Amino acid sequence: MLKDITLGQFFPGNSLLHKTDARFKILILIAFLVAVIAAKSAWSFLAVVVVTAAFVALSRIPVKIVLKNLKPLIFILVFTGILNIFFYKGETLLLHWSFIKIYKEGLIYAGFMMLRLVCLVCGSFVILTYTTSPLDMTDAIEKLLSPLKALHVPVHEFAMMMTIALRFIPTLVEETDKIMCAQKARGADMESGSLLKRAKALVPILIPLFVSAFRRADELAEAMECRCYHGGEGRTRMKQMKSRFSDWAFLLLMMVFAVGVFFINGYGVRV
Amino acid sequence: MSYIEVKDLCFSYEEEGMVRIFDGLDLSFEKGTYNAILGRNGSGKSTLAKLLCGILQPQRGSVTVGGYSTADEDQLYKLRRSCGMIFQNPDNQIVASVVEEDVAFAPENLGIEPNEIRRRVDAALAEVGMSEYATHATHKLSGGQKQRVAIAGVLAMMPDCIIFDEATAMLDPVGRRDITAAMRRLNKEHGITVINITHYMNEAAEADRIVVLDKGEVIMDGTPREVFSHGDKLRAANLATPQITELCDMLTEAGIELPKGILHTMEAADAIENYVKGL
Repeated sequence: MLKDITLGQFFPGNSLLHKTDARFKILILIAFLVAVIAAKSAWSFLAVVVVTAAFVALSRIPVKIVLKNLKPLIFILVFTGILNIFFYKGETLLLHWSFIKIYKEGLIYAGFMMLRLVCLVCGSFVILTYTTSPLDMTDAIEKLLSPLKALHVPVHEFAMMMTIALRFIPTLVEETDKIMCAQKARGADMESGSLLKRAKALVPILIPLFVSAFRRADELAEAMECRCYHGGEGRTRMKQMKSRFSDWAFLLLMMVFAVGVFFINGYGVRV
Repeated sequence: MSYIEVKDLCFSYEEEGMVRIFDGLDLSFEKGTYNAILGRNGSGKSTLAKLLCGILQPQRGSVTVGGYSTADEDQLYKLRRSCGMIFQNPDNQIVASVVEEDVAFAPENLGIEPNEIRRRVDAALAEVGMSEYATHATHKLSGGQKQRVAIAGVLAMMPDCIIFDEATAMLDPVGRRDITAAMRRLNKEHGITVINITHYMNEAAEADRIVVLDKGEVIMDGTPREVFSHGDKLRAANLATPQITELCDMLTEAGIELPKGILHTMEAADAIENYVKGL
């Protein structure tokens, strides 16, 4: 069961989105999110949906996988939909039954909200998490945030922590598996009983896990010191990030799109 | 002056009720030699390794490596650059999730220029025979492969000396053989000073010099042949001789006169053959 845990769910590939510089992808995603949130009219929503579909196509990740990962979202989608249908106050009353009032605008608004959520999640998955390796993402975040170093924000330390966390997730997952087996062999019961009982059964797993994680951290710190680690100052990187013309073009296109959405907002049905 | 000089070393762990680990230890290692340090658990061998690379500081006495004193904070990075360390647990010394990124870690810390890092990483991976794994995930490698990556990570600093702190203790026999072979090659072909801290006798027998530690003191110091010809003294320190040496000692005791300090199976076979021929 623990074997299935993957962080960020990166799908290696060779598509245009995979090849785009991770720094630019973060910026592109921001532009995309602005566009999605800004969209207010039917036409701008249409544009957003088309662009989202274009991103999915560009990533060459099977639509099936993308849709499958939307499943956990269904509850939130339905919840938002229902809330908006019942509580939105518009002008055209469609249904009135005791205290329930459903307006036409409410229905449209609910539809827009759900569409917005789906686009938001699909877009950010496809642009960033599915097509960017966690390592590239860490590097990109470090690079993008580096201006904050002037304000004494520990950007390098933050990025290093992420790198190490990513490195140790599989190791600790494996260890958790081992500890679970060891505790089961000693007669621990983790699968039956009430929720509280099962939560309590996790304690004998978490304690050894924490102890070993601290020990690992200690040893890792020594090993890092032995390899001359002394913080981000004067540190170079083997892999240099090089932005290509296409990265800039892509970003510019997305920014134009984001601004464009504000203009299209004036047309079509809007709420 | 020797490459590594330990003079009048005194050290004790404060939190453990001031147990003296070393009380006036003197020890030196020459540049370009292949050494092994033997000792039972708690003999202070891992503590010595940590003192040598400046993770721990002695309470009295001095440790100098390649002319740099471990007490000198400013020179600590120069010292660590010239004297690398491989630890026991392969998992806890790998920093990055991709093999080549991990090997690049030390040169990146040293502020080396990107093209040169690339060159060093490729050379180091080729040296330990891990080139084809350059872009693999580190957590999917076997223990022996992880240790080889760790060695490459140290080699990328271009050190003069590598200390192996029980680096083979958690490995299977194949991994252990790979690492021992790598030690020998690094020493013979690249002139790197190797210090192998171990409790495997067969591994120690590979070295040119063995130092036996017990209760923080050097109780024996010499070539493997000299050290292993004193089986009784080793056993008194809770250590054993390699199996083949023990067998020859037992044969000698039983009245079959064989030369002392035999280290290899073939050597023993030859000695027995000579003995039989001489009858």
